[in-house]
Amino acid sequence: MLFLALSFDSVSALPERDNRQNLTETVAQGKILWEENNCIGCHTLLGEGAYFAPELGNAYHRLGGEAGIIGFIKSRPKDGIPGRRSMPQFNFSDEELQAIAEFLKYVSEINTANWPPNIQG
Amino acid sequence: MQYQSQSVAKLYFIAAIGLFVGQILFGLIIGLQYLMGDFMFPEIPFNVARMTHTNLLIVWLLFGFMGAAYYLVPEEAERELESPLLAKLMFWIFLVAGALTVLGYLLVPYSGLAQMTANSLMPTMGREFLEQPTITKIGIVVVALAFLYNIGMTILKGRKTVVNLVLLIGLAGLAVLFLFAFYNPANVVLDKFFWWWVVHLWVEGVWELILGSILAFVLIKTTGVDREVIEKWLYVIIAMTLITGIIGTGHHYYWIGTPEYWQWWGSIFSAMEPIPFFMMTVFAFNMVNKRRRNHPNKAAVLWALGTATMAFLGAGVWGFLHTLSPVNFYTHGTQITAAHGHMAFYGAYVMIVLTIISYAMPILRGRQAANSNRSQVLEMWSFWLMTVSIVFITLFLTAAGILQVYLQRFSDTAMPFMVVQDKIALFYWLRELTGVIFLIGLVVYIASFFVGNDEPEASVEPTAE
Amino acid sequence: MNSRQPDRRYPPGDLAIWIFILAELSVFAIFFAAYAFTRMNNVELFNEFQQSLDPTSAMLNTIALITSSYFVVRALAAIREDNREGCESWLWAACAMGGVFLAIKSAEYAHHFGMGINLSTNTFYMFYISLTFFHFMHVILGMVILAAVAVKTRQGAYSADEHTGVETGGSYWHMVDLVWLILFPLVYVMR
Repeated sequence: MLFLALSFDSVSALPERDNRQNLTETVAQGKILWEENNCIGCHTLLGEGAYFAPELGNAYHRLGGEAGIIGFIKSRPKDGIPGRRSMPQFNFSDEELQAIAEFLKYVSEINTANWPPNIQG
Repeated sequence: MQYQSQSVAKLYFIAAIGLFVGQILFGLIIGLQYLMGDFMFPEIPFNVARMTHTNLLIVWLLFGFMGAAYYLVPEEAERELESPLLAKLMFWIFLVAGALTVLGYLLVPYSGLAQMTANSLMPTMGREFLEQPTITKIGIVVVALAFLYNIGMTILKGRKTVVNLVLLIGLAGLAVLFLFAFYNPANVVLDKFFWWWVVHLWVEGVWELILGSILAFVLIKTTGVDREVIEKWLYVIIAMTLITGIIGTGHHYYWIGTPEYWQWWGSIFSAMEPIPFFMMTVFAFNMVNKRRRNHPNKAAVLWALGTATMAFLGAGVWGFLHTLSPVNFYTHGTQITAAHGHMAFYGAYVMIVLTIISYAMPILRGRQAANSNRSQVLEMWSFWLMTVSIVFITLFLTAAGILQVYLQRFSDTAMPFMVVQDKIALFYWLRELTGVIFLIGLVVYIASFFVGNDEPEASVEPTAE
Repeated sequence: MNSRQPDRRYPPGDLAIWIFILAELSVFAIFFAAYAFTRMNNVELFNEFQQSLDPTSAMLNTIALITSSYFVVRALAAIREDNREGCESWLWAACAMGGVFLAIKSAEYAHHFGMGINLSTNTFYMFYISLTFFHFMHVILGMVILAAVAVKTRQGAYSADEHTGVETGGSYWHMVDLVWLILFPLVYVMR
């Protein structure tokens, strides 16, 4: 019961913190792409996910904005980098890339109590 | 075996062990991918192998829980299962659905699988541990409902004991909480908030009820201590579990955009979460010390004690290490979390399933109470091989995690993620080698089912008084 | 009349309840310590917003809880005399005082929530609401336990010889009372 009460309070306090004013159609599409390509299977998002690849909650800042994100995803070689962990080449359309970038921008603007500790995530 | 219908448990147990092997093999693959990034790339990229590793774990544990329920509920309720046929049918449905899902993971790119299963109609895929296509999720609900009906009717029409009622509550909670897997809003914070209602409230809530009741059942059977005593312990343990565990969910609400008071609520309540696990350890050792008889199945008693100990270490101690919010600020989402996850899952849930299998399997295979000495010795070897391996895997990952936290987040000259990963590779190598030993332990475990079958049952030496 | 054999068992009530009480008290203790430490770093803020609390209603609540604990003591004394009716009445009376507590506390909450205060307003209110609400839920639970004991008393489950249940419920209630006796000065009075 206490937990439900706290959850209720949290859900009502969320509009202050969860950046929902920027939750556009494109961002929602970006989230679907994020999910349907199982990005969480390697990366963490706000610290949750797999620990194989870098945190992406602050990727918007680390990679230098939307252009940086798009450039990175686009430039992944199809067969990977020999001997190294590589991100697959997903062959996204420009529109899809834009959606993913906007999704990551939206996530980076959520109030996470200053987590992660630094830009490295 | 007192009731004919208990025998359906055997199917479930065999499937559980089979999938367990698959889980470990994929664990070794992803362990190697940590070191040789291009291993199996791009055919089986890390995300696919990892999802297979974790999903197989969940599915085989569910098989184990169901098998445990089908074994112990008739004995507790003192009647045959409501419908053994339904139990068998659901077994095959679950197994085939599970196999198809895993094949889907391995053979089709994930986005293709999402398209094939019309994820866009009701998007639920692509969230950690809930990667299953929506159709599989619906299948899981159907199987769970049929299972609950079967178990529930058996209990309601039969003798109601604390053990089977706690089990029923745990299983019902498991099914109900899974429904939150279907809630996937576009708002990431809300999504994560309720995602934890499945994930946390499963493993630190209702699964612990299942764990407690199975452990209590095995202890009643193997120690001969009065049921009243064991039931009282069970009551206290599950009450503590729920009190600490439910609000303990707060330890996941520190950094995902939820209000900051969770740092207090989460820290305080999850700091108490080791208590029920500690009580479980005290409980198990106490009961075994007070035993009225020596049970010939020594391996089962060993597994039971092992569960109580390792659950406390893995879930209790390793959980506590990084649960306080000022610590978690630095450790959140690192190899420390992975270390905790490995030992907690093994110690609490893998071991409890192996405990009930160890207790029930000899009886299901026609023995009076226990396997031959030779088989038991082998099984105990596998116990030690796997348990010591997981302890070392945990230690190596903890070391890797501490270094990672320091280099990447704490030091004044923080380094990028991938640079740090290279620096801690030594520990990943050690982890992988230990993983191989774990696999050897698992092979020994399986071998124990095939040796000494023509030898007489282990007998009880007179109680050492 | 049977001889009045005072129950010499220690601790009174079921051992399990004492494990609970211990656990509950440790949670509260950690909460109190957290409050104290945080206050040390924010004395100004805490003092300022403490003024917005109503010490009179808190005082009334303290009296209500102490009275209810006294009623529980009387209930136990009654059952030790084999006086079931008396025991039941005292238990209901204790429950009623719990009800008084809940009513006053709810009025306080209504006042504060009406002003738009919630957990995220500031650190002081976070602690104030968390601590008192957590305690509030314990009062409710304690009342449920007392009511259950009262019902069982009416059904004749307890007697002078066997009244572990009354002791168990009573012990829990005293714990709830005790926590308030620390909470009240800590949050409302101490400057």
